[in-house]
Amino acid sequence: MIGLDLGSTAAKMVWIESGEIKFRITPAHNWKELVEGIDGDEIISTGYFRNSVPHRASLTELTAAVYGVRHYFPDAEVIVDIGGQDTKVIDVRNNNFIINDKCSAGTGAFLEFVANYFRIGLEELGPMHLNARRIPDINNTCGVFALSEMISQLVGGYSKEEVIAGMHYAFARRISHMVPEARSIVLIGGTVKNEGMVAALRNILEKEVLIPDEPQIINALGALEYYS
Amino acid sequence: MNKIGITALVPPELIFACGAAPFDVNNVIPASRKYPGNKLCAWTAIWKEMLIKKEITVDSLIVVAGGDCHNALVDGQKAAMSGIPTHFFFYPFDGDLEYLESQLHRLSGFLGGIRSPEVLKKIQELKKQGQMLDKKRCRGKLSSAEAFRILISFSDLTGDLAGFSRAISALEEKDIDVRNRVALIGVPPIYHDFHEVAQTLGLHIVFDELPYEFIRHGGCDIKEMARDYCGYTFAMPLESRIDFLKKELRKRKVDAVIHYTQFACHHMLEDEVLREKLDYPLLTIQGDLPGNTPQQIKLRLEAFREMLDRL
Ligand code: SF4
Repeated sequence: MIGLDLGSTAAKMVWIESGEIKFRITPAHNWKELVEGIDGDEIISTGYFRNSVPHRASLTELTAAVYGVRHYFPDAEVIVDIGGQDTKVIDVRNNNFIINDKCSAGTGAFLEFVANYFRIGLEELGPMHLNARRIPDINNTCGVFALSEMISQLVGGYSKEEVIAGMHYAFARRISHMVPEARSIVLIGGTVKNEGMVAALRNILEKEVLIPDEPQIINALGALEYYS
Repeated sequence: MNKIGITALVPPELIFACGAAPFDVNNVIPASRKYPGNKLCAWTAIWKEMLIKKEITVDSLIVVAGGDCHNALVDGQKAAMSGIPTHFFFYPFDGDLEYLESQLHRLSGFLGGIRSPEVLKKIQELKKQGQMLDKKRCRGKLSSAEAFRILISFSDLTGDLAGFSRAISALEEKDIDVRNRVALIGVPPIYHDFHEVAQTLGLHIVFDELPYEFIRHGGCDIKEMARDYCGYTFAMPLESRIDFLKKELRKRKVDAVIHYTQFACHHMLEDEVLREKLDYPLLTIQGDLPGNTPQQIKLRLEAFREMLDRL
């Protein structure tokens, strides 16, 4: 049996081999390669396109996240899943959830937008943030308007690294409005690999921030665990 | 028979009794696929635009302003400025019976006075049938989509009492697998297939808050109507509405609540109070433009169902 998370940007596949979690990740459009030779009856699917792939069972990424996170943090209270197109906050204690899918600020798409503006790879944002000495205030809650603020901070003398750090803080503030009171939160989703964004979130939330080893495969793992 | 547009709940029995046919301008919106230019709430923006462009033709218009919706008050005035004879109807916030009675007299005056009092009994009878339908779907003898389609039409009884009566009689009993009993509170969803979608995702809606108001009130003269419609929960203080909801939810043994809110509608501000006071799993969703239930809303409904399955 495999867990397959077919999201808007990446496809993640998880299976268990001799008690060990194994996984593969490809860009979403290559998902077919991932499951080549695997019978639909062997697939538990989740993610935005969960119903576009053959499957034995499917579940939403919100439920998958609860099961996947439980594997690493059985006492998790709140899960924040920062995806490519949306951000989901799940309060495991009372089964509540909020999804931001209306505005790009606070989703992976926003960070991609920033990276594109500076003509750098998404993976460079984190290391650049860590080189910032000052953090400019970027207040705009709209992703597109934040860009003009970003430009004015550059014109005003802040370095590229500092403006990127400022954007991460704007991003973190946006997400913090969705997060309920809790001792700790678990961060999942591909965006979590950005250590600058995580640092900003830690600072803004003032909570313990837990991150599983492979934050990107949690939902695929959760799909598998849900079914077994 | 004059066709009288109404923008929210106005006693339809009074309009019929004055020899006219009510027409709820909201009822064409979910299937309209209209995307209005200048808008806050799509409901008022669309009916305003359709009235001005004469895509909806009415002889006159009654705008429910007080105790209901300020967007309607403004968009109603814009419609009035286009030349449609318009009357503004106000519910009292404090349940003042005399005030509501005087409002109903003014409305009756605007419509030329009561001419056919005999229809009042007939409408009372139809509303009783509506209550029976509501009970049936609560017992799983009617799909929530079919029940909703009839219940929502009680705001104007489709302007045709005989036709509406036939539509009610044509409903056939069914056996529905009612597992997750859900109450849908707030204004009705702007999506025309919402109840079907909820049903296919395993959520059976056993209570529609606003349509229930449409079948709950009536009266055989203005005094009775005033007494009855004074309890129109949407016009009352929030606490009274919540007390009423609590009773209904208990009676219908609901497992969970969906609070539908509309983009740019003040009812959204009630969400946190409803969450605090109603002791049920509660999903808040927000709609904007009419059409099919969008994927994002379906995801929320499905995740909510999965969550209920886990409880
Ligand atoms: S949804 Fe809200 S704003 Fe829109 S017409 Fe209804 S009450 Fe008014």
